[in-house]
Amino acid sequence: MTEVTMQVNGKSVTRDVPDTTLLSDFLREELRLTGTHVGCDTSQCGACVVHMDGKAVKSCTALAVAHSGASVTTIEGIASGGQLHPMQEAFNEHHGLQCGFCTTGMIMTGIDMVNRYQAEGKALTEQAIRKELEGNICRCTGYHNIVKAIEDAAGRMSGMAQAAE
Amino acid sequence: MDMTGEYRIGAPRAEVWAALNDPEVLKACIPGCEELEKTSETTFEAKVVQKIGPVKAKFSGAVELVNIEAPASYTIQGEGNGGVAGFAKGAADVALADNGDATTTLSYQVHATVGGKLARLGSRLIDSTAKKLAGKFFDNFHAHLSPDAEVETEDQPQEQPA
Amino acid sequence: MSTGIGARVKRKEDKRFITGKGKYTDDIRMENQAYAAFVRSPHAHAKVTGIDKSAALAMDGVVDVLDGHQLTGDGIGNLICGWMIHSRDGSPMNMGAWSALATEKARYVGDAVAVVIAETQAIARQAAELVMVDYDELPAVAFADKALDAGAPEIHDNAPGNLIYDWVIGEEEATDAALASSAHVVDIDLTNNRLSPNPMEPRAAVATFDEAEDHYTLYTTSQNPHVARLVLSAFYQVAPEHKLRVIAPDVGGGFGSKIYIYPEEITCLWASMKTGRSVKWTADRSEAFMTDAHGRDHISRVRLGFDVNNKVTAMRVDTIANLGAYMSLFSSVTPTYLHATLYSGQYAIPNIFGNVKAVYTNTVPVDAYRGAGRPEACYMIERAMEVAARELDVDPAELRRQNFINEFPYQTPVILQYDAGDFGGNLDKAMAAADVAGFAARKAEAASRGKLRGLGYSCYIEACGIAPSAAVGSLGSGVGLWESAEVRVNPVGTIEVLTGSHSHGQGHETTFCQIVSDRFGVPIENVSIVHGDTDKVQFGMGTYGSRSGAVGMSAIVKAMDKIEAKVKKIAAHQLEAAEDDIVIEGGEVKVAGTDKKLAWHEIGLAAYTAHNLPPDMEPGLKEGAFYDPSNFTFPAGTYIAEVEVDPQTGVTDIIQFTAADDFGTIINPMIVEGQVHGGVAQGIGQALLEQVVYDDDGQLITGSYMDYAMPRADDVPFYTIEHNTTVAPSNPLGIKGCGEAGAIGAPPAVINAITDAIGTDALSMPATPQKVWSALQGAATQQAAE
Repeated sequence: MTEVTMQVNGKSVTRDVPDTTLLSDFLREELRLTGTHVGCDTSQCGACVVHMDGKAVKSCTALAVAHSGASVTTIEGIASGGQLHPMQEAFNEHHGLQCGFCTTGMIMTGIDMVNRYQAEGKALTEQAIRKELEGNICRCTGYHNIVKAIEDAAGRMSGMAQAAE
Repeated sequence: MDMTGEYRIGAPRAEVWAALNDPEVLKACIPGCEELEKTSETTFEAKVVQKIGPVKAKFSGAVELVNIEAPASYTIQGEGNGGVAGFAKGAADVALADNGDATTTLSYQVHATVGGKLARLGSRLIDSTAKKLAGKFFDNFHAHLSPDAEVETEDQPQEQPA
Repeated sequence: MSTGIGARVKRKEDKRFITGKGKYTDDIRMENQAYAAFVRSPHAHAKVTGIDKSAALAMDGVVDVLDGHQLTGDGIGNLICGWMIHSRDGSPMNMGAWSALATEKARYVGDAVAVVIAETQAIARQAAELVMVDYDELPAVAFADKALDAGAPEIHDNAPGNLIYDWVIGEEEATDAALASSAHVVDIDLTNNRLSPNPMEPRAAVATFDEAEDHYTLYTTSQNPHVARLVLSAFYQVAPEHKLRVIAPDVGGGFGSKIYIYPEEITCLWASMKTGRSVKWTADRSEAFMTDAHGRDHISRVRLGFDVNNKVTAMRVDTIANLGAYMSLFSSVTPTYLHATLYSGQYAIPNIFGNVKAVYTNTVPVDAYRGAGRPEACYMIERAMEVAARELDVDPAELRRQNFINEFPYQTPVILQYDAGDFGGNLDKAMAAADVAGFAARKAEAASRGKLRGLGYSCYIEACGIAPSAAVGSLGSGVGLWESAEVRVNPVGTIEVLTGSHSHGQGHETTFCQIVSDRFGVPIENVSIVHGDTDKVQFGMGTYGSRSGAVGMSAIVKAMDKIEAKVKKIAAHQLEAAEDDIVIEGGEVKVAGTDKKLAWHEIGLAAYTAHNLPPDMEPGLKEGAFYDPSNFTFPAGTYIAEVEVDPQTGVTDIIQFTAADDFGTIINPMIVEGQVHGGVAQGIGQALLEQVVYDDDGQLITGSYMDYAMPRADDVPFYTIEHNTTVAPSNPLGIKGCGEAGAIGAPPAVINAITDAIGTDALSMPATPQKVWSALQGAATQQAAE
């Protein structure tokens, strides 16, 4: 057992966990943040994506002890003050989800994607979104409305960034 | 999975044959072999650690020599159980040809299958891994018998479509 | 904004999913919970000669290790197939025994032989590795076309030669005679590839036994919790129905694979009783590949005859269907009544005959997967029509149009009677939307870039609703296939609808509310849907076969009819008017032509205070209904795929995919379009990417997403969706159903487009770059030789 301390959704948490504990299990089982899902065992499906120190990672492939001290944001931590994140709003608006299982990972991947493209000043085209979604599998939506939602959220987030400046 | 290959070894046939029947030599040459115990004239118990793709497992199993035509050929067959990782089994027909110049040509034909998790998660890597392991074994074997010689292969292991 | 029928209402259920607050089975944690891990056969076919549990039992944290002899010893029954099929000689199908934990023999890789119950999942999985099972390996057979060979290993004693049934439909002699006298006969061999359904949420179960109450609770990933309870109770003898509560909370997709009751759920229930602990099991993806029922896996020969005027004369199909190692719950009906009854497609075919031989193999059980039998039928007729057009050198759209059924009702020679449709209208809409007229120019432009462009049609029809009960009963179904609903109007006027349908992505919490809001004029936020819990909902047959609209919503309508009648009686009494003069409009209950009215919530309150009700009226405002439709429904449409093939690499790009569907009445177009998108993507997956692979020894070698190619965002285009509506006459809303259409219609459209592009029909699914490239080389070689 090793002591792990992390900032999770802005709160400091400390737990004693076995060294083999995956970050996904740490979040789901230790912290009961069950919005992070596990859909495969080979890092392919992306249902487990969270943000670690501002970057998207697959939490099923990270050991909790290896990331003690990290700052982690999960799907439960992106809405603020009762206000949904623009990416969450866009997924609802465009019917970008059906069963909801891959959705949390899709939203976390979508936010990271938009942030990276906007930071680099690159246009997030339909083709770019489809390429960027390589590591996220959805079986329900045929991706049509997910791509539409991310396209739309990119616009909303850019508005948000400009408003903040 | 099927594989064939041929090696020219810088040692006389009798010496090569003796080495092929010596558990110590085999243990030293089989990649990942942790134990190889002779349990009778023609049978061995082996423990081998292997990693194929995402699956790493310790295989324990029995190895048997059959169709023995000393000192020209035998078939070495075995089955290894890797627990939850699955199993591997196979047979190799090994033949030694005396080249008359104190060298020997060893040729082999392998048929092997894997099962369980190994097949499910690692099957696309089996062929390349097996090829690599076979190459490693014969490199080791060659080096053991003719430590000073450069490895001289006439024919690298060839994969055949299963 | 309208929230009624036809409105694009945003989904009510989304909020919990987009905020991570969905509650799936694996999110549930019980007090005193232990974890199950299964010990599974690594062999495709082997006698189980011994199980040594000692090392596992000695491990810290292991609660127990249980095996099949203990399970059967406790009276747990075998898993069964719930639909009887008879062979052509009248004999019943040969169903082999299937114990939740194998006792004598393991029959596929993944067959469970023991289960470890431990304090943590990690301990359970480690301990499972320490259970030593002695196997006596037997020869195995993995492929449908090998299973019937003389000398093939036999999998079940009571299925000689691995034959489950040899079933026929239609008139053999007449069909063969018509084919013999046809001017032209298309004769093709088709393989419908084996697929894994792959809902993103792996199956899971949490079972709890309450010793004091002698009562079980099972949380599980099910599309039909009541069916699960019925089967667990009546056949598997886990507990009588009143002592068993089954809850299917949020379920992350199903596509058919979560209809069935699997060994793991049964074992968890039994193990919770054995150990006195709540027992939880969650599949990992590899386990899902090796235990979730697979889909399709047919090998067929199709013959389609034409007269000199290019009218279809006859169709004969001979199929071998691989059902895997055991007969799953609906496995028998999928390749028979859900399949061969659709051979006629959208065409008037006077003579049809089909023969289906179902076989056992040493593979995962095969059962219904999105479309269930209908994609296989559609693939046959639509590939055959396309090949026919090429052989007859006529336009594929016009050949279809020439043979369309135009008058309804139309009795096919294979049981079904189509009740409504507009096949020509669907084709027109699709051709316009896909700009077929401009295709030649696009093809030329692609050729200038060295690319091969192709266009492919698919005019699909399916039978949905999976009802009426008397009809399915006469065909062998062991259950009735109606649906139930209860509508509760509360004293404050809000409404709860309890439905036997189950939503696992389909958006019922929105669409079902829409029909209530539409009917009574109450705000949609005042309506909520309750489903997925056998203790809350009276009964239900669940969600599959695109039946939740046509059957599930119809049951709600029937319950609302009863509510309306009672509301009118109360209003007439209180407003001193005639019942016939009462109208419900905009959330008010009025006397027509007057200003006398009551607000909706006043009626609710009146019903529950019961201070002033008509004499003899019971208090309360709650009505239930069972609805059994009068016919299947027949969604139909035309799909057009346009592809571009790179002849250098064999890579296929889907440039455009157009769907024109006739789903009858549409409640929420946004949700319906989402269903089409998802279905089409799965159809494209089948056509281009997906294939479950077994080796000759029956080893499953596609056990992860590294080896089984799922469609990703970059493999599919934006889809163009059109609707053409003819109302279904068999249910009150006129709904036909939309859940499976995409998966049924898309594969032949894609393959027809690729074969159009590369100029050869020698191509099977999945059309991987290697296969397409090889087909191109083959065609080139053949051309050179000619």
